[in-house]
Amino acid sequence: MVSIQSIPSNPSSLTHVDLQWIINHREDRCTLCGKCTSVCPKESIYLAYRRQRMPKLDIQKNRRGSEYRVFTGVRQRTQPANRCIGCGMCAQVCPNEAIAPAPNANDPRVKLLSNDKGEAWKRGGRRNVRESLLDRIMFNRISMLTDPALDAGRHEFQLNTLLGRVLPPDEYLRRKASGEWIPPVREIFPFVIGSMSFGALSPNMWLGLLQGVAYCNEVLGIPVVMATGEGGCPPWVLRSPYLKYIILQIASGYFGWDEIIRAIPEMQCDPAAIEIKYGQGAKPGDGGLLMWFKVSKLIARLRGVPEGVDLPSPPVHQTLYSIEESVMKMIQSLSMAWGFRVPVYPKISGSTSAKSVLNNLVRNPYASALLIDGVDGGTGAAYNVSMDATGHPIASNLRECYLDLVAQGRQNEIPLFAAGGVGKNGNVTQNGLGLIMLGASGVHIGKYIMQSASGCLGSERNRCNVCNIGICPKGITSQNPKLYRRLDPDKVAERVAETFMAIRTEMRKVLAPLGRSQSLPIGMSDAIGIDDPAAAERLKIKYIC
Amino acid sequence: MSGKKQDAITVKGIDNSGQRISSKDFEELVQAAAQDSNNLVLEAYGQHNVGGRLMPDKGPYSLRLTGPAGQRLGCMGQPGTKIVCEGPASDDVGYLNIGADIMVLGDATNGVCNAMAQGRVMIKGSIGARGLTMTKWNPDYVRPELWVLGSVGDTFAEFNCGGIGVVCGIEAKNPDNVLGYRPCVGTVGGWVYYRGKTDDSYSRTNVKEIVPDDEQWQWLMDRMPEFLESIDRMDLLETLSVRDEWKILMAITPQERALMFSGPMPMAEFRTKVWDKAFGGDPLRDLAPGLDRSPIGLIESGELRRRRPYWANHESAAPCTFYCPVHIPTIDRLRLIREGKLDDAYELILQHTPLPGSVCGAVCPNLCMENCSRQGVDSSIDVAMLGRSVKDIAAPETAKPTGNRVAIIGGGPGGMNAAWQLAQAGIEAHIFEKDDKLGGKLAQVIPWERLPQATWQAEIDRFMNMPNIKVHFGVTMDKEIFDELKKDYDYVIVAVGTHEPRRIPFPGNEKVIAALDFLKSAKSDKPPKVGKQVVIIGAGNVGCDVACEAYKLGAESVVLVDIQKPLAFGNEKAAAEGLGATFRWPVMTKEVNDEGLVTAEGDLIPAQTVIISIGDVPALKFLSETVEVITVGGAGWVKTNEAGLTSDEKVYAVGDVERPGLATNALGSGKKAADSIISSIRGEEWKPFEKKLIDQKTLTLEHYCPEPTVGDSPEAEADRCLSCGKCKDCHLCETICPTGAISRREVPSDFGYEYIADDNKCIACGFCRDTCPCGIWMLQPFE
Repeated sequence: MVSIQSIPSNPSSLTHVDLQWIINHREDRCTLCGKCTSVCPKESIYLAYRRQRMPKLDIQKNRRGSEYRVFTGVRQRTQPANRCIGCGMCAQVCPNEAIAPAPNANDPRVKLLSNDKGEAWKRGGRRNVRESLLDRIMFNRISMLTDPALDAGRHEFQLNTLLGRVLPPDEYLRRKASGEWIPPVREIFPFVIGSMSFGALSPNMWLGLLQGVAYCNEVLGIPVVMATGEGGCPPWVLRSPYLKYIILQIASGYFGWDEIIRAIPEMQCDPAAIEIKYGQGAKPGDGGLLMWFKVSKLIARLRGVPEGVDLPSPPVHQTLYSIEESVMKMIQSLSMAWGFRVPVYPKISGSTSAKSVLNNLVRNPYASALLIDGVDGGTGAAYNVSMDATGHPIASNLRECYLDLVAQGRQNEIPLFAAGGVGKNGNVTQNGLGLIMLGASGVHIGKYIMQSASGCLGSERNRCNVCNIGICPKGITSQNPKLYRRLDPDKVAERVAETFMAIRTEMRKVLAPLGRSQSLPIGMSDAIGIDDPAAAERLKIKYIC
Repeated sequence: MSGKKQDAITVKGIDNSGQRISSKDFEELVQAAAQDSNNLVLEAYGQHNVGGRLMPDKGPYSLRLTGPAGQRLGCMGQPGTKIVCEGPASDDVGYLNIGADIMVLGDATNGVCNAMAQGRVMIKGSIGARGLTMTKWNPDYVRPELWVLGSVGDTFAEFNCGGIGVVCGIEAKNPDNVLGYRPCVGTVGGWVYYRGKTDDSYSRTNVKEIVPDDEQWQWLMDRMPEFLESIDRMDLLETLSVRDEWKILMAITPQERALMFSGPMPMAEFRTKVWDKAFGGDPLRDLAPGLDRSPIGLIESGELRRRRPYWANHESAAPCTFYCPVHIPTIDRLRLIREGKLDDAYELILQHTPLPGSVCGAVCPNLCMENCSRQGVDSSIDVAMLGRSVKDIAAPETAKPTGNRVAIIGGGPGGMNAAWQLAQAGIEAHIFEKDDKLGGKLAQVIPWERLPQATWQAEIDRFMNMPNIKVHFGVTMDKEIFDELKKDYDYVIVAVGTHEPRRIPFPGNEKVIAALDFLKSAKSDKPPKVGKQVVIIGAGNVGCDVACEAYKLGAESVVLVDIQKPLAFGNEKAAAEGLGATFRWPVMTKEVNDEGLVTAEGDLIPAQTVIISIGDVPALKFLSETVEVITVGGAGWVKTNEAGLTSDEKVYAVGDVERPGLATNALGSGKKAADSIISSIRGEEWKPFEKKLIDQKTLTLEHYCPEPTVGDSPEAEADRCLSCGKCKDCHLCETICPTGAISRREVPSDFGYEYIADDNKCIACGFCRDTCPCGIWMLQPFE
């Protein structure tokens, strides 16, 4: 029996200095308004009463005694279930700047104890590694009177890319003349909003993104497309003119496809493309799991499943056993669904085996592209070890694949798309164009758009990163209306528009000094360099110092 | 001017040998000629940078250019210079011009007026690309002007910073687009009058299209004749004076630009005019009809809270109530004292036990206080003192007799409390006691040092005077009587305790006195004699009592031996040790002889008296077969359910016959059995004590300050009580609530009041929970 007086200690006892985030609270500024404790998503903080003994000792008058002072403060709980995640919502609502979390500079022991009941550390978000090789790629073939002097602000740039199989000119002309089938190709903005499902994302987030994408296309003239992720697409969206901006994803869980197939006869337009997901960079070889508490009535209807059940997407497609079979079966079936008018491409995790997949696609007449997702990609939920240590960085993986195509002389035929860590530290255009010059036809961005468009608080310092438990304080990844209604879809859309306008400007700022305005510099690797000899050698680009 | 010839000097661009003179030499010739005349005719042959550097203090100069003009005609032209180019001109006419008037009586190619800051350029034809680019305007001077009779090429007026352009659209090179493709990119100042068709590709973020206002129109009309005269096209004056045909591209100010949304259409407008229309309503209307997705804030009240407070008053048990086997609600008693209801407080405890002074106040180790929350502040409530204060208080009122009768075999604490409870309920309780006094072992063996005789006597008297209780002394139970009792009474409660001492058959065991017998006789009128050296086998609390009695009866040294670490604790152990008793363990007894106790190792512990104190077992021979007995450790114990009911539905068993325990355990099981009987007589369902122990972490102890001395009266203790789980009516929640959501209201309930949180004000901050000293407010999930 542990009495009220005893202070128990067990192997997993933690104090606030063991936690990753330490709440700094200033009693002298606090107005006790209750907003911080009200907003805290983890119930990490509470109003604490503290008693302080103040001895009153007067040896000369031979008087002694103690008085007590009781004071209040907002304190953090130390049990792992309520650990502070550093989201900073408390600071956001505090009227007096009296409270904020700060990263613990010591080695927080909580990491060692995040395996309660034998359940290994699981979380959402991103890889907790802050460095990015892509940030080190610089554009250094500057046109100094040697090439057309381009002005990013003044000149017009052709910044779009092609998604779809581009036939060699002679073949194209032959087929054109003989009236044969010509593979569908879409002209799109090379920064694509990567797959995030309606389910992983809240309705307000998902629709906000789509609204922003529609605005980019219809008002700004930036042909942005977004991928749905697995989990389907709302029926009214499928029947809307905005479907053309959507890449529908099919993955191992096959969620939501009943509604998609049901809607085909009533579609006003074709989707931008179909993405077949075989793997995800953040957690290669690991499936997805939409936890039961995120399977709201809405999500259940959308995915065609019962409400409140766990929805596993297995790590692999259950009926596919080889590359040949996968490519044959799925690409063909999905191409056929829209009369071979829609590009269909697979998405795989970055892997040393990516080239095998690519070579298979090259031989497949219906394959439209290959998307490779590197280890720095994000996810709604995964084991920490999958996120942090499993996978392949995108740069060398993409580069190898591209150079392989070059060796075959097919680099202009089947576009490669790259993802995973684009904009990890905010340098979205630098990272994206770096990958494009390494050989990508475009990039997918997920975490970046969440941060930029909806104020996602997650970071590589393990800030927030609780997408997996449905308590997203910004309402991005929650299915709880009390949380997701915090997100105004109009504002998300506005930020999407602003983000893509800014990317467009930055692209020009990079491309103008390079003297490129008429086509995207795909594979223009002579324009880039890196200050790391080993990376330079591996990527076959210039070493600069 | 004086000394200069007014006659024109002609400078030739070709030398006598027919060679073109370099731009450098030509410039030197022009400068030299300008020393002599202000009127020059330049027969140029493609020389560049002609017409500049003619200083105004020597001017004005009039230059007439014949022959093919080179690039940058009028480059860095000065005020007071007038250049007329009789034919077409090449690139960059008026480059960096700061004041010259330059007339080109033909077309000009690209870059007209590039970086010009002042002066005028007038073109009789059309111009190429990038006219009026980088054009400046220094506010101390007059704005630069570019007049074009025809049209302009692409990318006109880029980065124009203040120049005025006039494009008349007469005989335009491209009549469908007099301003060229994408004019005014980067324009930050100035404006362009134009007349004629365009492709509307002007930079929307830099200029806006307006119609000339009166002042602007006047400006144009004031200057138009001079332009037309200069290029000798006065015939067009009427044509160019139709106000409706003119428009202006006016630079947008930074302030205006800042007001524009970063895109050309506000998002709200896009949603209502484009997005919603495309869907014909909410895009989720089929999946989730009526789903409200409208934006909310971070701090919300009412239905939008994720948690809500709940006043869980009296829903969990205080540690005192929980751990007491009788579940005496000490916190309620203290609350009544705080409220000044002393009589009610006394009655409350006497409703639970007939022996508060003797048990709570004396022999009980007070399990209730082992986890008293007050220990988190200083020390527990002194419940023993509270118990003693009740010894002289009258018994509670009894209910009207029901006519039911219950026989209770054994008048120990278990039997007594069963009778006490039944009596209060109006049920006649008949106690059949073998001894000639009540109290069982409490009376028979507990030394008077630990159970003050006065207290005991007062409580026995109170018990004996209780209506509905009849005590039959000297009844030795056997099967016949037992069966008769079963027949005659509604229920029989077996409460005979354990009165068969355990023994161990080692050699000489017949020399060993049983502790039970020893203590009984020690407490009798004829106490036994003991040797100077005493060994007690079995070092539990009873062994300690034996040791104390042995000292009292003349022993000089007492050794308690045990085969394991002694189990003695608390007052008993302290008392024995205080008198000098020592403990030895592990000791296995080999034999007892006249010398003393011989251990298994062969050591002799000298003793004249050896007493064995390894427990007692029940004597149950009188029970009928219907009462199931289970054998544990060589002795039989009555098997009972939670209420104390045996396998015979008329027979209950309470106290040590179920399992050995403390006096308070016996009191508790007696009450439970009685309550169960009362319930079944009343036809009610009996429920065991079900309340969960309060989580002491929910209490806010910091509201209390440690006190140097604990209370010495019931009133002082009442003030110290934290009232775990029961509202103290302190109003702290009401006070701390930042939104004023909590209030107190009177309601008809046991408490008479309740605290409630107004949903429309509450933001679920949890301050009520965090502040409540009693751990009552909690925050519940609110889906």
